[in-house]
Amino acid sequence: MTISRRDFLKASLSAGCFSLCPSIASLSYAEGYDNKPLLIVLFLRGGADGLSLVAPSADSDYIAARSSELRVLDEGDSNGILSNSLDSRAGFRFNPNATSLSELYRGKRLAVLHAVGILDATRSHFVAQEIIEKGINEEGLLSRTDTGWLGRAISGSQGAITGYSATASTDISLYGSNTVLAAPDMFSNFDVPGGQSTRGFLGDISKNSKSSTEVATLNTLNIIATINRDQVREASGRASNKTDNGQFGYDGSGELGRGLSSIAKLSSMDAGLKVAVLDHGGWDTHEGQAYRFSNQVKQLSIGLAAFDQDMRSRNRKYNMIVMTEFGRRLQSNKSGGTDHGHGACWLVLGDSVRGGQMYGKWPGLKNEALDHGVDLAVTTDYRMVLNESLLVSGLNPASSFPELRKSELLRLYA
Amino acid sequence: MSDQLLLSRFAFGPTPNTYNSVMQGGGKKWLEEQLEPRLQDDSKCQERHADFKLRIRYEESADWKSADEMRSFQYLDTPISDLIQLNQPGKKLPGPEKNRPLMEVVSATLIRAVYSKWQTHEVMCDFWHNHFNVNAWDPNIGLGLPVYDREVIRKHALGNFRELVEGVAKSYCMQTYLNNRSSKAGAPNENYARELFELHTLGKKAYLNNLYNKWRDVPGARQGSPEGFIDQDVYEAARAFTGWTIEDGANIGGKATLPRTGRFTYVESWHDNYQKRILAQEIDPYQAALSDGNKVLNFAAFHHATAKHLCEKLCIRFISDKPPRSIVESSTKVWKANQNKSDQIACVLRHIAESKEFQNSAGEKVKKPLELTASYLRGTGIEFNPTEGLIHELSAAGQKLYGWPAPNGHPEKSAYWLSSNTMRRRWSLVYGLTMNTWKTGSFDPFLRRGSQLMTTKGFTDSWIEELMHRQNSVLEGAILNNAGIPADTPIKNLDLARKLVAWIGMSPEYQVS
Repeated sequence: MTISRRDFLKASLSAGCFSLCPSIASLSYAEGYDNKPLLIVLFLRGGADGLSLVAPSADSDYIAARSSELRVLDEGDSNGILSNSLDSRAGFRFNPNATSLSELYRGKRLAVLHAVGILDATRSHFVAQEIIEKGINEEGLLSRTDTGWLGRAISGSQGAITGYSATASTDISLYGSNTVLAAPDMFSNFDVPGGQSTRGFLGDISKNSKSSTEVATLNTLNIIATINRDQVREASGRASNKTDNGQFGYDGSGELGRGLSSIAKLSSMDAGLKVAVLDHGGWDTHEGQAYRFSNQVKQLSIGLAAFDQDMRSRNRKYNMIVMTEFGRRLQSNKSGGTDHGHGACWLVLGDSVRGGQMYGKWPGLKNEALDHGVDLAVTTDYRMVLNESLLVSGLNPASSFPELRKSELLRLYA
Repeated sequence: MSDQLLLSRFAFGPTPNTYNSVMQGGGKKWLEEQLEPRLQDDSKCQERHADFKLRIRYEESADWKSADEMRSFQYLDTPISDLIQLNQPGKKLPGPEKNRPLMEVVSATLIRAVYSKWQTHEVMCDFWHNHFNVNAWDPNIGLGLPVYDREVIRKHALGNFRELVEGVAKSYCMQTYLNNRSSKAGAPNENYARELFELHTLGKKAYLNNLYNKWRDVPGARQGSPEGFIDQDVYEAARAFTGWTIEDGANIGGKATLPRTGRFTYVESWHDNYQKRILAQEIDPYQAALSDGNKVLNFAAFHHATAKHLCEKLCIRFISDKPPRSIVESSTKVWKANQNKSDQIACVLRHIAESKEFQNSAGEKVKKPLELTASYLRGTGIEFNPTEGLIHELSAAGQKLYGWPAPNGHPEKSAYWLSSNTMRRRWSLVYGLTMNTWKTGSFDPFLRRGSQLMTTKGFTDSWIEELMHRQNSVLEGAILNNAGIPADTPIKNLDLARKLVAWIGMSPEYQVS
């Protein structure tokens, strides 16, 4: 074949037929995955205020809508200013607590998407999160969709552990695959209590795979066996339980750092990992936002910078999407917070990212440009971001976004 | 009536005593007693509470001395005006002291789940705590948990939904968690009003968000009975609840401040007095104090969508993840017919328990970690006291009691409880309880069943009968196959005997009810 796989994909994408072309699936499966970047999804739960994360600091409507403590000021050092922004007059700046994020941006490892989100008008956390997790475009399809966009993308892939959910239970986005490891962290013991005889008993009693609990028992036994085979071990023979000895600088990133370093650790094991997800909670800032948001952003910024160091030291290629279910209201409330909004700010970080620039289309904050007159509008369908991210990871997006027929490419990745 | 199923779903599993009395034809009688609990009549559980001590431990610092001691319950009956002192501005307390009200309620919950006579009441307290979830692991919310548990959830668990909703609305915990206490006219805080409609009452299926601001287009709205709510209803309801707050010392204008009692109050100067339109109902301007908010609670609590949402959720809890539409519809009728009665919730539970849909649902529900823990302890008869170690293991298994971060509560459906982490951790729970890993109580498997003279086969069969209430040759075979000693030799090793009982509790069949 003289045409490279990437060129072929580009061609078929621009022709708008990728989701219908059966040949793409066989093409991508024909190529090995091992050299493909790991795809990571970090979900900022609660609706992160995009207007405080990457802020149009010079926009007069922005300044008029919020007290100075609830916005990023158009002053101070120039490090936080985004070059290659969507609108030079808006004065886009990173939140002053996002120092590492602006460094990653300047280093072209980080890209910013603004006014991105779901097309559905919901302002419900739970509906909006589930719409994204399931990769659909409207609430009406939720009850008819049992699987997640990542679960569909990796189902059928080779490997004992193709997905990792660094959470207490499997994230909905990974539903549909039975080779998903769920574990809040990778630094504790992974044995079946009771040792070999207990494993033997559980395997015997579940061998018919009839009920959902029998299937879950067998899947869990398989996953534990893989981990215990591949677990990175210390010289003593015990499973390593260190995060990073401080070398990558996760300190200050809280629980987020634990999840991120767990993903880094698992990515070095030979388990066939293709995608990983984790959460960062605490973004639902209806009250006392000034203080809370600063802390959230600090954790995020420190965590992502440390993770990038960690992965680079492992020589493991990755791309990470940092998403949230919606942005927040332009106008603040009298509790010193903001209520649920619509358009959001997402980030993309990693090795294939064409970083150092903003993506999307900035609709502005004039009253007539706002969604229903109150919230930042959505000008980029979130599925476009996920779609491209699957492609660059060597995964087939056709089953992930069945309703996304054609779209222009954002060209987030090189 | 399926009597055995009754004990699995309307109780935290059978004990030998409840099993015997219910199986001798007493299911109906048992349920009727359960639905009218005499909560003071619970001597076994009360003795457990009186004798219970939970460890508290922290290091010395500049502001306090170290501590490591066993301490009895001290906050379960404390009024909010005392509890709020735990969070006095400028007062420095070690974390474990601040979290003590939470840890006491968690411990009391575990003791009640295992030992209370009034099991259906306990099951419903668990249901309502998740339905009206607050994150009490935040110490500022957790300090109010004893009052929230005692005076709101436990008080109304089998009672009237409208009264329950109002109790929640005015509680220190919910006012703090969903921020209504700082909501003021002009730019109100929408957090509580939104979750009141979406989670507490009408439900997300009734959120007709694509109509957003077109209230006249909501089906039924022009006739004054809209089928659902839109964001305009959220905005207006947020206005109605402005001024509903907590006496927390806040400044209310000029030099005036609220006292610091933690009690509910109404601040007139924070209230938006202008007219409102909520769920297609008009509210005139300048109504009496609290009137706007009370009207919203009426609209919401008595709404048809609320009856349907709550009945569907109860059927998911008590029947299956996808309950037949017939039982949701008939329960909804019972809910509405009794909506002004003081035992409305009990009436609906009776209807569900007596339905054929319930009787045909054996094996449909996966036990959550609390249910697995309590049913195993009730079945084995281990003399149990909760410890911090167990509480953390339950959290690791996915059920952080009173600590779910988002306002929707722990998932009721099975998928969440069958992931590789939640499965592995439920095995750890059963195994750790059996082996006394967290010092929750030592287990002697020879005490209740058999003796060391029994064969391994006889011992295994006997415990299968004890925990599953029937023989099961497949389970017996899998156990004997891995026990490591011949089936017909006496079982003398205590740890091996314990392990075989643990296997029954870890088996796929024991994970469901």
